[in-house]
Amino acid sequence: METGIIALAAALAVAGGTIVGVYEAKVAIAAVEAIGKNPDASGKIQGMAIIGAAIAETSAIYGLLIAFLIIFILGA
Amino acid sequence: MELQPTVFYIIAIVVIIAVLLILINRKLVKFDPLSKPTGIVLLVMMGAEMVDKMVKEKTDEKAAKFLTPYIMTVVVYIFLSNIAGLLSFESPTSNYSVTLSLAAVTCILIEYYAIKANGLKRYMKSLAEPMAPFIIMNVISKASTLLSLSLRLFGNIIAGTVLMGVIYQLFAKVSSLIPLFAGFNVIGVVVAPVLHFYFDLFSGAMQAFIFITLTLSFIGKELPKDY
Repeated sequence: METGIIALAAALAVAGGTIVGVYEAKVAIAAVEAIGKNPDASGKIQGMAIIGAAIAETSAIYGLLIAFLIIFILGA
Repeated sequence: MELQPTVFYIIAIVVIIAVLLILINRKLVKFDPLSKPTGIVLLVMMGAEMVDKMVKEKTDEKAAKFLTPYIMTVVVYIFLSNIAGLLSFESPTSNYSVTLSLAAVTCILIEYYAIKANGLKRYMKSLAEPMAPFIIMNVISKASTLLSLSLRLFGNIIAGTVLMGVIYQLFAKVSSLIPLFAGFNVIGVVVAPVLHFYFDLFSGAMQAFIFITLTLSFIGKELPKDY
């Protein structure tokens, strides 16, 4: 019973990653469009796209961290 | 004190890298600079040129001299660690201690370049921007770089490893239901290579690339710019 609720809590913690996935795809779309319009700046756009995606990903990573904490501290 | 099993895999990976480097070095010494590069020599040259170009683009000339060997080391180590799953190793990067120490080196480099560019006094002052109580926020934002860099690499690799384990178990169960091949993992043999290609090779190369890109961008942000 208790294990099930802990597992559910961990799953909920990482569920925020789904939204991050959608918006990271938007970053990729914007980068591809920008490179299509301006192929010379592809190096700069690539770097910025990766940084933007990485910063957006941070929230998903915090979710992952909290899921780990729930599993290893509450579940142990 | 008990050693984690990953330690032996780390040592194995380091030995593999050392042997590879010795073999490649032997080829490079024999290579005639006027002839066309082929095979492994071409591969090494292309890799070195790519990293060299990337570092020069993101940082300045002076920092690039120091950073290029470090970035090359990191990318080779992370990539080989990520694809170690193909050799039925336990990936060193699926151990949080390894990724945390890799990210810690990056964070120390970021702070080093920030202090070098601004001077210690202005660096301390920039911590308390715009007001004194914001020092807590600034320290947290610096720690979040460390956390996000290490957890990104760790999360991706551990997810791949765990998923492959689950998939192997699932296929073993499914193929045990097939009457003729009982006890032999038939479906796993067919499907697993494709998934290994994605989770180990593609994801591993991607994460190594992202790690160095982020390292370079964070460092490049701190460097003084000449307009």
